[in-house]
Amino acid sequence: MKPHRKKRLGIILFIAVGLSLSIGLTLFALSQNIDLFYSPTQVAAGEVPSGQRFRIGGMVKDGSFLSAQDSLRVEFITTDYVNDVPIHYEGILPDLFREGQGIVAEGSIDTAGIFQATRVLARHDENYMSPEVKAALEAAGASTENHSSLVEK
Amino acid sequence: MWLWFSKLGSPKWFYEISGRWLPWLVGTMSVFLLIGVTWALLFVPQDYQQGLINRVFYIHVPVATISLAFFPLMAVAGAITLIWRMKLADMVVKTAAPLGAWFTALALASGSIWGVDTWGTWWIWDGRLTSMLFQFFLLIGVISLRSALEDSDGAARACALLSIVGFINVIVIKYSVDWWNTLHQVGTNFSTDSGGANGPEIWVPLFLMTVAVYLFFVVSLVMYTRNEILQRERRAQWVADLVSES
Repeated sequence: MKPHRKKRLGIILFIAVGLSLSIGLTLFALSQNIDLFYSPTQVAAGEVPSGQRFRIGGMVKDGSFLSAQDSLRVEFITTDYVNDVPIHYEGILPDLFREGQGIVAEGSIDTAGIFQATRVLARHDENYMSPEVKAALEAAGASTENHSSLVEK
Repeated sequence: MWLWFSKLGSPKWFYEISGRWLPWLVGTMSVFLLIGVTWALLFVPQDYQQGLINRVFYIHVPVATISLAFFPLMAVAGAITLIWRMKLADMVVKTAAPLGAWFTALALASGSIWGVDTWGTWWIWDGRLTSMLFQFFLLIGVISLRSALEDSDGAARACALLSIVGFINVIVIKYSVDWWNTLHQVGTNFSTDSGGANGPEIWVPLFLMTVAVYLFFVVSLVMYTRNEILQRERRAQWVADLVSES
């Protein structure tokens, strides 16, 4: 490679490394803000500033879902299998919402320690299969739920 | 190796060889696209949780995968432009940008349609979606930079540098779901076991669609680049000969 080309290559590499470093450090510094939600464990540890709106993410605990007969009011418990947070919500739930499913709720914690949600979104994990495969796996007693990716990293 | 490299830099040589490849590329693409679309949209089993809406997967995943290929391509072509001043490389940087913007927009749109049905929202500012939107704006930036700078050498240099920023952002997009918690799922690991999740019945049609969309990307890029060659070389003798022949 000719010297002037080598020099240009050097400049490009220098710019690329410099940009990567600065972007990387910025993202690292902001990582708390880039996270979409807090986990129930983070809430229990008091990492969330009180009285503020925030998002909480976890799984809907099996057997915790209750809905009112005469309105759209629902309550359930969200969990990361370490800590639980009760959630109250009035509104339409996404189709994918069910017990054992990952959710993200927006709202704030009231004085009784209940998360009053204004919006509930469903998450889905990275596993796709047909109902037949799902049924076969369940019949074989294998755990088909891979929750690890949906609870807090 | 160096002879081949300098040959590739010759617009005339590329125009001739790509003219011979193009029918083969289009033919292969059509076969993959036809089988892929039919299989993915009509015969793939419904998802146990998501049902039919899950078929957006077969559009969203290939389109999103390929939209991540643009900035690496443009950064490498841009670096070649900066170092060797190769004309063809700069043409690729120029023609890839609008194509990349379309692919990114399609990935965002198909993701939104999927999201409104599964998540319950069209949009959320999580790490994956935001970094993807950033890529869209970067590509729009490359396109407008090109048309704003009249000096074509300066435009080539500026676009090449912006492409390096885009390349870094591609890494951020790729790992966003692992580094931060997001509404978007983490990457799916496909398996060869047909009795479990993510088996061949899921990924074989996905693979066909991905190959088809990749070929579509290559075909479009080659056609746009050929067009760009004719425009930039319009004063060259071989283009004049080509026009008088036809």
